[in-house]
Amino acid sequence: MGRISFFFKEAFGSLRRNYFMTIAALVTVFLSIVVLGGVLVFVFLTDALLQEVEKKVEITVYLKTDPDPTADEVTTMQEQINSWAEVKNVTFVTKEQALQRMKEDYADSPEIFESLTSNPLPASFEISLIDPQAVDIVAARFEGDSIVDEVRYGKEIADKLFAFTDQARNFMLIFIVLLGVVSILLISNTIRLSIFARKREVEIMKLVGATNWFIRWPFLIEGITVGLVGAVVAVAVVLAANHYLLGRVSDNLAFLSVPVDAVPYVLVTIILLGVGVVIGAAGSAIGLRRFLRV
Amino acid sequence: MIKFEDVTKIYPPSTVGLEKVTLHIEKGEFVFLVGPSGSGKSTFIRLLIREIEPDRGKIAVGGRDLDTLRSWKIPYLRRNIGCVFQDFKLLTNKTAFENIMYALVVTGAATSSSKKKAAEILSLVGLGHKAESYPHELSGGEQQRVSIARAFVNHPPLLMADEPTGNLDPETSMGIMQLLYRINKTGTTVLMATHDREMVDRMRRRVIQLEAGRVVRDQKRGGYGED
Repeated sequence: MGRISFFFKEAFGSLRRNYFMTIAALVTVFLSIVVLGGVLVFVFLTDALLQEVEKKVEITVYLKTDPDPTADEVTTMQEQINSWAEVKNVTFVTKEQALQRMKEDYADSPEIFESLTSNPLPASFEISLIDPQAVDIVAARFEGDSIVDEVRYGKEIADKLFAFTDQARNFMLIFIVLLGVVSILLISNTIRLSIFARKREVEIMKLVGATNWFIRWPFLIEGITVGLVGAVVAVAVVLAANHYLLGRVSDNLAFLSVPVDAVPYVLVTIILLGVGVVIGAAGSAIGLRRFLRV
Repeated sequence: MIKFEDVTKIYPPSTVGLEKVTLHIEKGEFVFLVGPSGSGKSTFIRLLIREIEPDRGKIAVGGRDLDTLRSWKIPYLRRNIGCVFQDFKLLTNKTAFENIMYALVVTGAATSSSKKKAAEILSLVGLGHKAESYPHELSGGEQQRVSIARAFVNHPPLLMADEPTGNLDPETSMGIMQLLYRINKTGTTVLMATHDREMVDRMRRRVIQLEAGRVVRDQKRGGYGED
């Protein structure tokens, strides 16, 4: 029987003997990591959504209607836009297409269009960009153009959205850190309770001449085992819940197109398992500290 | 083996544990430490295994100066002092055999030989047949035997017993005393704190009597009371 196998035997023996404490610690770890995992997945999801939104920042250039630009002017402008390096794609939407779209959007209430005698909608260019950040520069080029009425690119909305999500992200980061601290405290408390019940045992070990590390190892192994098992169950729950909820969301809210790889599952799993191990070990170490001063 | 030089220990605020105690115990001696409760016997023992530190004075055990001993070395000091207590201090979730093994594994002793050693020492204290019993399945006398076996399994130069017969009937106590006597015969210094008047009178060994933290008597072949 080597030293290491002795430590493992001690650790698992006491996990079994103090099963009530083991379960209490397991539940604590599990709950902490489920919450942590939920927040983590949420952070990744909002991040992915943000990037989607960013990609969708499009420039719409409305052309004048009175008089409408000539076909030549339109072609010249389209070629010019196409020649810009920042532009990924440009589509010309005619007045008729614009009206058609509107009719489709309001298919439920066709009476809106009954009173129309002519088509009031402007023709427009819809420009998508390679780099969404270049939106300002490209938009500025249309200023003062004789056939351009208005340039819209949802800049304000995008900026507000970014500011909000940045704040939300910082907030969540702080939340995660606090959550980690609370978990460690909770677990070290749970483990301290279990160690307190074994205070006499630790005293005897010290009297027989056990070094602090000799006493500590089995407790650390116990803590890490509890942390790891709790984390594994929590990871399973978090990933299953994520899968289920994403399915529901994309069924019901089709416009929120979350990319399939939004949540890096492997990374999340590794982070959560790591946190479980650290929480378990730190909890044991902190819980044991007081009793080693005999 | 043990040297106390002018040792004083005060428990805050002003309870005297030991006061200006100077004494030497040589290797191989068998010494009784007697005196009423609160006279300083336990303080003496706790100082010896460095559970507490003195306020003044020097203590040396086996040539080791305790006040310069680094705290990480305390476990190694304790491995050289076998400890036996009134309440046995056995690990309740381990069998008699495992309790003894624990003391061996702690020292990092080789494993196949330590199993043999543990089995041997158990039969030496007459409990070879109870190796797989847990402490609660053993009588007080048997538990104390296991405790002595554990204290002695590493063959420490010093064995220290704090009221080892305090919870036992006279007949069982006699067996425990014989065990300690045999251990002393192997050259191990034995220090025993006790209330057991009859035992001390019968053994006729060195007696150190404490009262209110002071040594009031140190007699080569004494009895419990003065004679």
